[in-house]
Amino acid sequence: MATRLDKEAAAILQGTLDMLVLRALQLEPMHGWGITERIEQWSEEVLCVGQGTLYPALYRLERQGLIVSDWQTTENNRRARYYRLTPAGRKHLTQEIRDWQRMSRAINLVLQAAKG
Amino acid sequence: MVKRDERLQEELQFHLDQQIAKNIRNGMTPAEARRSALVKFGGVEPMREAARDQWRGTWLFDLGRDMRVGLRALARVPTFAVTVILTFALGIGAAVAMFSVFEGVLLRPLTLPEPDRVVRLFQINGGGNRNAVSEPNFNDWRDGTTSFAAMAQFSPWGQVPVAGAGDAQLASLTVVSRHFFDVMGVRPVLGRSFVAEEQQVGAAGVAIVSAEFWRRWRGDEAPQGEVLRSGTTTYTVVGVMPDGFDYPVGTSIWTPREQAPPQTGRTAHNFQVIARLANDVSLERAQTELSALSRQLKTVHGDRTSMIDATALPLLDVLTGTSRPTLRLLFAASLLLLVVACTNVSNLLMVRSGARRAEFAVQLALGATAGRIGRQLLAETLVVCLVGAALGVAAATAAVRLFVAMGPATVQRLDGVSVSGPGLLFAVCVSVLAATVLSLVTAAGARSVRIADALADTTRSGTGSRRQMRVREGLIVTQVALTMALLAGAALLGRSLHAVTQVDPGFSLDDGLILSFTIPSDGTPDALTRQVALQDAVVARLRAQPGVETVGLINAFPLSADGFFPNGTFIEMTRPDEITTFDGFDRWAPDVKARSGQARFRKVSADYFRAMDIPLKRGRLIDDRDAPNGTHVAVISQSLADTQWPGRDPLGRWIQFGNMDGDLRAIEIVGIVGDVRELSPESQPAPALYVSARQRPRQAGRASVIVRGPSPGTLAESARRIVREVDPEVPATTTTVSAALDVILSARRFTAWLIGAFGTAALILATLGVYGLFAFTVSQRTREMGIRMALGAEPRSLVWLVVRRGLVLASVGAVIGVVVSRLGSDTLAAQLYNVSPGDPVTIGGAIVAMVLISCLASYAPARRILKQTPGRTWRDV
Repeated sequence: MATRLDKEAAAILQGTLDMLVLRALQLEPMHGWGITERIEQWSEEVLCVGQGTLYPALYRLERQGLIVSDWQTTENNRRARYYRLTPAGRKHLTQEIRDWQRMSRAINLVLQAAKG
Repeated sequence: MVKRDERLQEELQFHLDQQIAKNIRNGMTPAEARRSALVKFGGVEPMREAARDQWRGTWLFDLGRDMRVGLRALARVPTFAVTVILTFALGIGAAVAMFSVFEGVLLRPLTLPEPDRVVRLFQINGGGNRNAVSEPNFNDWRDGTTSFAAMAQFSPWGQVPVAGAGDAQLASLTVVSRHFFDVMGVRPVLGRSFVAEEQQVGAAGVAIVSAEFWRRWRGDEAPQGEVLRSGTTTYTVVGVMPDGFDYPVGTSIWTPREQAPPQTGRTAHNFQVIARLANDVSLERAQTELSALSRQLKTVHGDRTSMIDATALPLLDVLTGTSRPTLRLLFAASLLLLVVACTNVSNLLMVRSGARRAEFAVQLALGATAGRIGRQLLAETLVVCLVGAALGVAAATAAVRLFVAMGPATVQRLDGVSVSGPGLLFAVCVSVLAATVLSLVTAAGARSVRIADALADTTRSGTGSRRQMRVREGLIVTQVALTMALLAGAALLGRSLHAVTQVDPGFSLDDGLILSFTIPSDGTPDALTRQVALQDAVVARLRAQPGVETVGLINAFPLSADGFFPNGTFIEMTRPDEITTFDGFDRWAPDVKARSGQARFRKVSADYFRAMDIPLKRGRLIDDRDAPNGTHVAVISQSLADTQWPGRDPLGRWIQFGNMDGDLRAIEIVGIVGDVRELSPESQPAPALYVSARQRPRQAGRASVIVRGPSPGTLAESARRIVREVDPEVPATTTTVSAALDVILSARRFTAWLIGAFGTAALILATLGVYGLFAFTVSQRTREMGIRMALGAEPRSLVWLVVRRGLVLASVGAVIGVVVSRLGSDTLAAQLYNVSPGDPVTIGGAIVAMVLISCLASYAPARRILKQTPGRTWRDV
């Protein structure tokens, strides 16, 4: 069951991973592990971000100037790389969310119409 | 990159550790937690690859990968690869070599502080030519201008015999005025500069010497009162200049000008002037100020000065002025060759891309974008260009070394020229530019690939894309045009060289030994008597050598490369004692001035004219009757007779020429001899007046002796020995008539041969290019030809079809070539002799040659049509 869910989660994440990562970083700077945990937690364990996609995504977003990173010490006194949103990233996220909501509303409308 | 990898590693490790910790929190054993975390994590390496892809410059990375692919692709077609790379290497090698020489000689800054602020100043006299400067004019310039931080005059004395510094030797001595070293911005590294007490009349002789001169003599130690001697003059060495400083070129010894009395004649143009621009003053401003002052001086002094204007020129321009047109021409020719080579490379690449249409079609069908394929072509072209450029630069390095070793003696500053920074930068820029243009042209040909067409094409051979064919034909036309221009240029230079060697210089060019030596003299009667005796002794002993026929002596030998050709203004006198002082023209009555004339002033021995085969036209030659205390006699050249006494008899007239040598005795004209082209066969014969070196020995201490008879090689050693035995302190040098002529013709010969070589290389490339195009066309049209033959076409007419195309391309190319060579005719004209840049015979010859060769190069592949039988052609399909 868990494996099936993972696969589904991966499929869902196509194209929306960047938005989810940006959203996870909206409140505070976080390291990569924190981001996976945050997304898993918020999605009630439905969305699981694989490391294989997370880090490339983080580097891509950094290259695009949407996030920046620096090395900080965690509460457990370990060095970790923290990512945080840039103003451009914040703007981008707002836009992404607006687009997503319009899209998902449209899809819902279609689905409900079919039901009715 | 390494640091980034380490950070990535650390980040991933952190992630893994967090996962393990979480698993433990969820109740797993540490081992279990670790295994589970690793499983969830997945392959670390693919992940790292994916992450890396995000931070690398993807485009560059892909290009690198494409280049590796390109390299492998080229390795599969070694003949093609070697041909293309060598062709490109040839073009770029020639261009880089010529650029390096061009840059090294003409542009490389002089090794002086702020070298571009050092300028040479010249008087402009009536004729409009740059001229040396008289001291009063120099003083007025120095005191009347503000544009210059320092200004100095100097006067190169040429090679003087020097004793006291090891073996007797010849060294270049230059007399320099007070601020000379300030202008140059260079100080002695050992010892000191001249001090004021040494810069006045009557001071003891002092000298500063070059590092090279000093090293040969004393090594590295500071001067401690060492004394040099030239004749009876002695110089105490006070300073040694730094390595490499030898201005004016070749100088070993500098002495203060102020030790000789000031010169007062405004028309005595005895000095060169050099200056350093003041800070923030532009050359234009300095030029304006100098010019205004000089024109003002003309209005003040009128006839007393011949200066009408003045000019300031950067030192570098003056130094390299004569070699500039030669080097510019060579560089331009090498660029033409480069373009010809590039067109060949482009043609070859296009043939290959044509052959790969099917491969591209498959790639397109599998989803590659056109851009992706274009990038692959660019990468392959880049590989060709980079490898070719590397080979080319290596070849250029060797070529430049050869150029420096064998280059014409007249090109200054060749020493130290090599393929260095600017040359490499040029190579890189040209390669990248070439790669870009080449791949654009190739891609233009390949862009027409359509999947279906191309795939269908693989089974049939069509004529290739029409568009690609047009591009290729355009390239051939370009190639033919540029090659024709190069060939025409080379032929013109070759004809000029031939014309120059055919000129009768007025004296015999049969080989003979030229022995040069300078007997130092302070001008006292005793010294002069000794000089005549020594010269007589040398001449007599040479004449006694076995096989020697005639021996002649002159103080300025024609063809001598050091350019010592004294000339001046003489006065024809109505009676021998009319003028017995020579204080300057301004004091003379106008009717006396009207009798003045210009002539070269030469001092010769009685046998000189016989030894040189200069014909006597009228009167008699100087002979042994003309004793030192007898009447001074002169023989004049035909051109002097014609210009000075047209329609009148010059014989028996009296001449005053004492301004030249300080001897005020009258000279009687006794004979007329043939004209001589002194500087080189292509110079104009100048009016000349010859007097007896025994009667007027002043300023004839420096002399050359021509020995006719035996082969010069066998005599050289004994000739030098004779001089050494006559006076051990007189160093002698020997050369031969043919060697002296070679030096004079070297620049012309070198340019002609080098451009000829470029032209030949271009011709070979163009022939290969035409051949390649038509070989390709014929092979592509085999099927069409087969059909035509089957339908009854004459094979001959099919061959004609191909050759006609070659003819058309060659003709168009030749016409454009004529235009191209017209564009370069200005640069070329300066190098030509007795041939005009548009000489119809030469241009016509080049056109015929190009058309003929194109016909042959297209006929060779076309002949294969004759061997085809319709049946075979069909089967091949």
